[in-house]
Amino acid sequence: MIRQVMIAVALLASMLLQTSSADETCMSPYMAKIVGQEDFVYIWTLGLEGVGDGQDKLVTVDVNPDSADYGTVVHSVSVGGRNEAHHSGLTDDRRFLWAATLDTNKIFIFDVHTDPAKPVLHKTIDDFVAKTGGIVGPHTTYALPGRMLITGLSNNRDHGGRTGMAEYTNGGEFITSVWMPTDDNLQGAVKSGNYADGYGYDARALPRRNVLLTSSFTGWNNYMMNLGKLLGDPEAMQRFGNTVVVWDLHARTPKKIIDVPGAPLELRCAWGSQSNYCFTTTALTSKIWLLYEDDAGEWQGKAVADIGDASKIPLPVDISISADDKHLWVNTWNDGKVRLFDISDPHNPEQVFEEQIGEQINMVSQSWDGERVYFTSSLLANWDKTGSSDGKDVQYFKLFGWDGEKLTLDFNLDFVQMGLGSPHQMRFGAYALYGQAPTPRAENTILKTAAAE
Amino acid sequence: MLAPGYSALEFVPPAAGSYGLPPMGLAADGRILTDQNKRSTLHDVMGDRITVLSFIFTTCTDVNGCPLAAYVLSGVQRALLDRPEMRDRVRFISFSFDPENDSPKVLKEYGGKFRDPNFHWDFVTAATDIDLATTLDAYGQSVLRDYDGEGNYMGSMSHILRVFLIDEQKKIRNIYSTSFLHTDTIVNDVRTLLMD
Repeated sequence: MIRQVMIAVALLASMLLQTSSADETCMSPYMAKIVGQEDFVYIWTLGLEGVGDGQDKLVTVDVNPDSADYGTVVHSVSVGGRNEAHHSGLTDDRRFLWAATLDTNKIFIFDVHTDPAKPVLHKTIDDFVAKTGGIVGPHTTYALPGRMLITGLSNNRDHGGRTGMAEYTNGGEFITSVWMPTDDNLQGAVKSGNYADGYGYDARALPRRNVLLTSSFTGWNNYMMNLGKLLGDPEAMQRFGNTVVVWDLHARTPKKIIDVPGAPLELRCAWGSQSNYCFTTTALTSKIWLLYEDDAGEWQGKAVADIGDASKIPLPVDISISADDKHLWVNTWNDGKVRLFDISDPHNPEQVFEEQIGEQINMVSQSWDGERVYFTSSLLANWDKTGSSDGKDVQYFKLFGWDGEKLTLDFNLDFVQMGLGSPHQMRFGAYALYGQAPTPRAENTILKTAAAE
Repeated sequence: MLAPGYSALEFVPPAAGSYGLPPMGLAADGRILTDQNKRSTLHDVMGDRITVLSFIFTTCTDVNGCPLAAYVLSGVQRALLDRPEMRDRVRFISFSFDPENDSPKVLKEYGGKFRDPNFHWDFVTAATDIDLATTLDAYGQSVLRDYDGEGNYMGSMSHILRVFLIDEQKKIRNIYSTSFLHTDTIVNDVRTLLMD
């Protein structure tokens, strides 16, 4: 019960209060938060042919140091076949985890609240393309109040980069879709630079500014192509996104298209009550970009830092902003490194730390207090490096402690050796979110709804 | 820090009618008990009006929870009172998920603090545990009772604040939570529905 006190559920209100701790810093501001130590990390994992059952799966790892199962896989749910498992997200009440797939366009909805240690597949959306009017490659699954926003990467007409976003109820029913603005149809948006490419990737909201930002990657033709072949195809290499779009969050209408050349990927917004800015990184040009509201209330974008040596194509992927808006973790997939930037002055980030994490690296998630940093390795099935069978550190889930100066490895799970696959996005879970306590189950205080009393 | 609903919006909202509020499915019906101690159903109370449905309990102390809903809805009520063309097409329903404490008598007294005699604002609850569970589940409203270290109910609950905007055909058109709930936003959305 002491832990229950430590890990109280902090509702959205407490996010507004900017309380001292909650869980990972890159989640929707609409979402219920964990205060303190997370119990589990749910890892959406690509199936690998010849590894275990070869299927995509949601893997649950116990990450609570007080648990007898700390650092071990406690559960795994396979979903049947390989679908290019990629990103995942939780509903605003954190009762369900939505796991999207880029190839078959299925979205698997897992119940993570009935038993947080053992998620179960609750529902599968298998008509995403038809319902959305042709959006392909569901990517980010992002919590809005009572609904999920899902960004796409492609379309079913030419499988290029033009795409849109869709909304579903928390129960998994389609609501509506909207396409990204293009030169052909700006939808009222201001094209502020050279591009209006209509590409999509990530989305993040700043509710108090009524702003939604979206970034842009590439279409199915490219992300399903072998990486070596893609890099050798100059024409295909032209088909990457070069824009961030600023939307009216409430109206879901595009307001401004900002040039951000080189495939801007993850978007992360500052948490401070007066911090009207977000960051992204560009995969192809290896830069940190700041998207910010200027003194006139106009949203702008500018490159503010280099990430490694762009000529070596480090390929920045996931980023994670600290809860105090002072630091930004930046992973670079190709060299397997993580870098930490001091972003106290968001217009002038400075790199303050760098470390090799593995042969490749993709996702990073940090606890709200910044003391725990989790990494996974997989990017895309046809882009990932090989060599796990040779003992190379390719497909892993790692937890490091961070003391402000150095990373200290707490555990390392080799997902290939364990017969699981290629680990991608991580989401945190905790018993206390659902009024539950860990074992012994018979003695725990499973808090019921009033109805169940 | 108080929720945005307690102060002026930090942005200029989109003009009413300039945006859509796509339907999010049918608002569920449910058996209820009114503050007049009468059995009814949510759909009967909604009638043919635009409904703003909130889930509350009267002893809620989280300033950014139920008190926020009461504050914001009181503001909407004030904004609509002088506009009969809107006032007469809108009603509020505040549904208590704590029938154990929130008897019809308690609800009537609580509602009297907020309800203007010229406005339709109903305070209701469920008559049975099954009815309550059914309604909460239908609206995805999770509620946790707070217990102390010995497992004793502490008399408080945790929940994510949800307020539903429901059109005249009983379809959900928007859902508001703490960082999104604001008088101006709801008034704009109501006007948008009336312009459908």
